[in-house]
Amino acid sequence: MNTMLADILLVSPMIALFLFSLIPLSIKVLRGNVEQSPTSTIIISLIGLFLAAGLLIVFGGSGKTAFNGQLVFDGLTQWMGLIAVISAGGAMVLMYENPATRGLQFSELIFLAMNSIVGMLILVSAVDLITVFIGLELMSLSLYLMIAMSHEQKISKEAAIKYFVLGSFASAIFLYGVSFVFGSAGTVNILDLMENAAVLIKTNKVFMFGISFITLGFCFKVSIAPFHAWTPDVYQGAPTPVTSFMATAVKTVSFAAFLRVIATKPLIGSENLFLVLQWFAVITMTIGNVAALVQTNLKRTLAYSSISHSGYILVGVITAGISQNSAFGASSVVFYLLAYSLMTFGAFAIVSLIEKNEGSAIQTDDLAGFAKKQPLLAFCLTIFLLSLAGIPPLLGFFGKFYLFSAAVSEGLLWLALWGVLNSAIGVYYYLRPIVVMYMRDGDCDVSDEKHFGTTVAIVISALLIIVLGLASGPLFNMIENSLM
Amino acid sequence: MLSALIFLPIVFAIVMAFWPQKNTVRHLALGFSLIEFVLSLGMLQKFDSSTAALQMVEQTAWIQRFGISYFLGIDGISVMLVMLTTFLVPIIILGSWNSIDKQVKGFHAALFVLQAAMLGSFLSMDAILFYVFWELSLVPMYFIVGIWGGSRRIYATLKFFIYTMSGSMLMLLAIIFMMRLTPEVTGGYISASLLDFYKLNIPFVAGEFLTPQTLLFFAFAVAFAIKVPVFPLHTWLPDAHVEAPTPGSVVLAGVMLKMGTYCFLRWVIPLFPEAAEHYAWIFIALGVIGIIYGALVAMVQPDVKKLVAYSSVSHMGYILIGLFVMNAYGVNGALYQMLNHGISTGALFLLIGMIYERTHSREISKYGGLAGVMPYFTIAFVIVTMSSIAVPLTNGFVGEFLILLGAYSYSPVVAAFAVTGVVLGAAYMLWMVKRVFFGPKGELVKEDHHPLLDLSVREVVVLVPLIIMIFWMGIFPNHFMDFSKASVDYLVKNKMDYSIPLSPNQAQAQEK
Repeated sequence: MNTMLADILLVSPMIALFLFSLIPLSIKVLRGNVEQSPTSTIIISLIGLFLAAGLLIVFGGSGKTAFNGQLVFDGLTQWMGLIAVISAGGAMVLMYENPATRGLQFSELIFLAMNSIVGMLILVSAVDLITVFIGLELMSLSLYLMIAMSHEQKISKEAAIKYFVLGSFASAIFLYGVSFVFGSAGTVNILDLMENAAVLIKTNKVFMFGISFITLGFCFKVSIAPFHAWTPDVYQGAPTPVTSFMATAVKTVSFAAFLRVIATKPLIGSENLFLVLQWFAVITMTIGNVAALVQTNLKRTLAYSSISHSGYILVGVITAGISQNSAFGASSVVFYLLAYSLMTFGAFAIVSLIEKNEGSAIQTDDLAGFAKKQPLLAFCLTIFLLSLAGIPPLLGFFGKFYLFSAAVSEGLLWLALWGVLNSAIGVYYYLRPIVVMYMRDGDCDVSDEKHFGTTVAIVISALLIIVLGLASGPLFNMIENSLM
Repeated sequence: MLSALIFLPIVFAIVMAFWPQKNTVRHLALGFSLIEFVLSLGMLQKFDSSTAALQMVEQTAWIQRFGISYFLGIDGISVMLVMLTTFLVPIIILGSWNSIDKQVKGFHAALFVLQAAMLGSFLSMDAILFYVFWELSLVPMYFIVGIWGGSRRIYATLKFFIYTMSGSMLMLLAIIFMMRLTPEVTGGYISASLLDFYKLNIPFVAGEFLTPQTLLFFAFAVAFAIKVPVFPLHTWLPDAHVEAPTPGSVVLAGVMLKMGTYCFLRWVIPLFPEAAEHYAWIFIALGVIGIIYGALVAMVQPDVKKLVAYSSVSHMGYILIGLFVMNAYGVNGALYQMLNHGISTGALFLLIGMIYERTHSREISKYGGLAGVMPYFTIAFVIVTMSSIAVPLTNGFVGEFLILLGAYSYSPVVAAFAVTGVVLGAAYMLWMVKRVFFGPKGELVKEDHHPLLDLSVREVVVLVPLIIMIFWMGIFPNHFMDFSKASVDYLVKNKMDYSIPLSPNQAQAQEK
């Protein structure tokens, strides 16, 4: 009984989120299917998120396992969970203030978002491949609906279908891989698996297949080339707040699960797998950056930039995977995801403020004159873009610094070299919006008078990017200590 | 003290950004920059020029995990460049009094951030801290050219940013790589301190390219060579100069280019002495090519500003030769020439800016006979030209003479080629002066509808300090060279096994 209680305490963040997600929906039902004011919905859900974050901080990082070792609550769970909850919270503020999503079905949208976050928390804590799958599906299914729910444009329906079909394939491949692993190793618990992995991976082809399929499933979720093709279309087609949700929270937790599967214990003997992943990283960085160079649509540029950042993060995941007994690689991934989520959220938040109506696809050139109309927001966007480009002393620079330092220390000098060369390419397209904003005349402005919450979120992220950048040392130590 | 020097401009920039009154912004900026200059004079007062030791050291751990510290220090190599920076900024602000008329607050805030970043890169003794300031200096310059620049400003500013950034990315990787090597000399922990980098003994194999020291040498050298700029990496410079507003050009030519040459002296030569010595010929050859190429291209420019920009390429060639001959004459001369170039080219850009404000044209062919209309302007211009072409008694002479002396003792052939640059330099500058100031009156000078006024009081105040410096540095070079002599001599003597000593009481403080 006591252990049951302890387990429930551990999963209390998810329970809290789920319960809070029901409240707005129930209110709507009780009102006879009449939508209440979005303000109350968002306030209730944000309270739920804060509660979940608080519970995660209190119970999350103890290193205990729950439900017979299916979920583990360690430093990785805590950090990745917090990053996901916070950036998802930010995205929900955007949903509240973006005209495309603040529609008739706002309470349903928020319900789905909160359930998606529950899925994320399961995903970051799962150490059982079946539980990983459950988390993945709970997160993704809610997401497919969220993308489709905006009610005007065809493009979002197209994005939803595309994401759904391809995502289902990826999930199926993942599950197929899990079945192979179960068949050959007799267990799906990651911790148990890794004990035998070194032997199995050399002797058992079926196991090798299984692990490869699982890896492919993750590569799809985090848009690693050559499985990235859905990303630009879906990111562009989804309502911007949902894009922000996907690009930050979803990517963070997918990488968390990826990291847990392939880097919990070193998969000794699987050099080939890591060699393939190294090539994936190289291709991803290159495709993301080169394709972003020629985009004219701001959301699409950011989508390709997000692909290239997946490539950088994959370098960190590989480092974590091959490093013998150090949390350096894993901590650099967590740190980078924190930085990446803040700056990507900020960039999408500003896009969300500017776009006139959903799917109207603001072009980079449409930003002309934004700096005159909204100096504060333009300054924040500059910070986000410079941080994405990796200009010191902003957070993005230190993210790259730790990532590439880790790679160099594990002897992956060529990946680090490729990474920095790609960052140099990236500078070009990150600077272009800044050029247009400050150096061309125009009348770009925020489109909706309702933008207080978004502005606050943007300013907070910009400040965090500067302050955490300067204080990156202690932050990195904290992350590394909790991952030890 | 040094922290105050770096961060005061940042505070100024913030105050500037939130200053409510539009019409007093310039006065405030001028006041701030003068405070900064006085502060740097105070620093100079305390500076002990008799030792090569690192002075006024400030060190606090910043990112302990990687041995990165907030580590500032000043020695003879950096002290004069710091003074140059603080000296030029008030002049720039006064010089751009009328030419910057939109977003005045933003401009001055950017200028102060730029000043902080430049001072930071001169004073940092920690690789990562240095890198932060080095990159940070790009951002305000990017905006200064991009917002207040000429018609092709966006192309120019992007080119400037991307060129410099691509170079420094490789440098970052090289820094990370060197940090990985430091545990050998620090007793087990990683360090990014330059002093620990100096202790490293990186293997060098002559003739083999893929060896650590050679690769690291080139990773650093290319980053700095882009900034200098060394031929053939110079193409961003004419674009940036022509499109930049006058104050932007002055900062760019006056201080930012010096960051590149300074870093050769601070980083490349002492860190990779064998590689630097082995590959010195490449840089000397590029320096010679730069001198001659820059001069020849300058000669045919129809635009005054572009002419001065190419003359910069030529002058920076001298500095590069002076650095890489690596003897006391050459290095002292190069360091002195950095200051000279900052003052004389800065003054030239200011003068061009003044005439541009009056006529809105920089075409040489449209001028002529300006001497009769603007006599004082002509006098100032001719004096600065004399300094730029290194006439004795002006500052330029001392620097170029020392560099040529150094080049001669390295190889007479180099000196012979470099001397042609002096002749060519005199040729294109004097020819330009002749076409602009003498001869029949050009179309812009003749026109009656905008009378060409001679220098205003403000402009005289801008130019007089520069002209005083030109003669002071030309007649009493020791007043300035004494500050750097000890450090340079020490560097030249010990370059194979270089380490900056800390002065005794600071060494004690560090041990605590």
